[in-house]
Amino acid sequence: MNVLPDHRLIDGKAVKSRILTQVNAYTKLQGNMPRLVSICIGNNPEVAVYVRNQERGAQQAGLPFEQLHWDHEITQEACKTQILAMNDDPSVLGIILQRPVPDHINVRSLQSAVHPLKDVEGMNPASIGNIVYSDVALAPCTAAASVELIKETGLDLKGLEIVMIGHSEIVGKPAAMMLMAEGATVTVCHHMTRSVAMHSRRADVVVVAVGKPHLIGPEMIKPGAVVIDIGINQIEQDGETRIVGDVDTKAVLAVAGWITPVPGGVGPVTVAILMRNAIVAHQRQVAAGWI
Amino acid sequence: MTATIIDGKEFAARVRGQVALHVARLKADHGITPGLAVVLVGEDPASQVYVRSKGKMTVEVGMKSAEYRLDVETSEADLLKVIEDLNNNPDIHGILCQLPLPKHLNEDLIINSISPAKDVDGFHISNVGLLGTGQKSMVPCTPLGCLMMLRDHHGSISGMNAVVVGRSNIVGKPMAQLLLNDSATVTIAHSRTKDLADVVRGADIVVAAVGRPEMILGDWIKLGATVIDVGINRLDAPEKGEGKTKLVGDVHFDSCAAVAGAITPVPGGVGPMTIACLLANTVTACCRANGLAEPEGLTA
Repeated sequence: MNVLPDHRLIDGKAVKSRILTQVNAYTKLQGNMPRLVSICIGNNPEVAVYVRNQERGAQQAGLPFEQLHWDHEITQEACKTQILAMNDDPSVLGIILQRPVPDHINVRSLQSAVHPLKDVEGMNPASIGNIVYSDVALAPCTAAASVELIKETGLDLKGLEIVMIGHSEIVGKPAAMMLMAEGATVTVCHHMTRSVAMHSRRADVVVVAVGKPHLIGPEMIKPGAVVIDIGINQIEQDGETRIVGDVDTKAVLAVAGWITPVPGGVGPVTVAILMRNAIVAHQRQVAAGWI
Repeated sequence: MTATIIDGKEFAARVRGQVALHVARLKADHGITPGLAVVLVGEDPASQVYVRSKGKMTVEVGMKSAEYRLDVETSEADLLKVIEDLNNNPDIHGILCQLPLPKHLNEDLIINSISPAKDVDGFHISNVGLLGTGQKSMVPCTPLGCLMMLRDHHGSISGMNAVVVGRSNIVGKPMAQLLLNDSATVTIAHSRTKDLADVVRGADIVVAAVGRPEMILGDWIKLGATVIDVGINRLDAPEKGEGKTKLVGDVHFDSCAAVAGAITPVPGGVGPMTIACLLANTVTACCRANGLAEPEGLTA
């Protein structure tokens, strides 16, 4: 039996494939594109899944993708030297620094070493600074993905009340800044917030990125609101391992106007945004006369 | 209920006193004198007043003040050279390029040519990003001053509901980041916000930085809330005589003071804190440059 798709569920895979098609059209026009370089430091089985997804996304986008695996004993200095060399190498389009890294590596310092024009992950402080100043074209992928998914509802973000739950440096803070740049009234809640529900219940949009399975229930959501679930949590249920978000999707579905599922919501779009960032980087490098 | 008036003049003097103490210690213990360079291009009268009082206060707290007054026609290349020399000068720990710059100069380019470690205004794009991600940075002076006042009044602002009205790059945005980093729950409201009065009514802390005279009214304020008024607006004041003007904030002072727990006046509230925080930032930059512990109570 065919089950009709639930219109309240925002289909991240469809958004992903639409973005990748757009990127692919650009790369086809350009012909020979320089490559994305993914750097894994040390051995991280959990990172491998992400990298595989990125590689597949790059393929669909028509972008060459190189995987580097650096030994877990590599020094900070050696990492930095190699990254600086990539900054100067016109055949490298963008640099992706996979996390986590070994303890002796200062990941922030390496992120700062990636030139802003090659910072496809949007992690260099200057890239974040641009976002704060409302230049959001090259933003951290997950934050940009959540904005993209809100726009997917067709709502105009200007004047919307948006509650961001979670104020991490990679997701919550940049997402809040991007949403503000879009004209929304943004409230950022976190673990010290007295009553998250008091804030979230009045919000037109709730974006959640805390990493706690099923933290957000229907009693926290205004009827008809948009719920963007960035959480990815592994839980054991009935002897099985499952991936769930920070939102109790099934229960919240009864209240929300739109909701992103996990998996299949923000995750796929994040990969597509990385590729879109790559073409923004390409355009900026061309404009700067680098290529 | 009548609000406590937060006296910015008195508080700023206290901050400058702390700065002077640190400067004296740096000299005595390490033989280092913090140095602040102020670059002024052109002859904008308001800027000249600022630069003069900055220079005066820099010397008063025992720091070295260097002023660079450049001709209004100064080329971009020449200005960049001045900044580059200051970046490389080990006796200079803070560089401030007085804004606005003459039209022919690219402000972003000039500001971003200042070494982020010496960017005591906190406007370099890297500092903006570092603050935006909760990392160690140089923090813009006015919001830093507001944060100091709030910490002084409340002890801790963790868990409080803060509403920042206005999303300017110089005040609103960095203010929101600072409040977040101190674990307040932060809402950034602005001209697009639908029911501003209602949003403000939820706040334990209101920071007003919109540039609209006396926009925030007493019935927007929760009983006992703290109100920080960053606005400085000049209005005609015919009641004081013909052609007279007065300064007012973004907050309607009388009606808000009747409800608030504490409030900053205009003038004499946030205003005096800005230069005090510039001096504080210079000491911080000097300590960081020399690998010394940062001055307590003077940083974000």
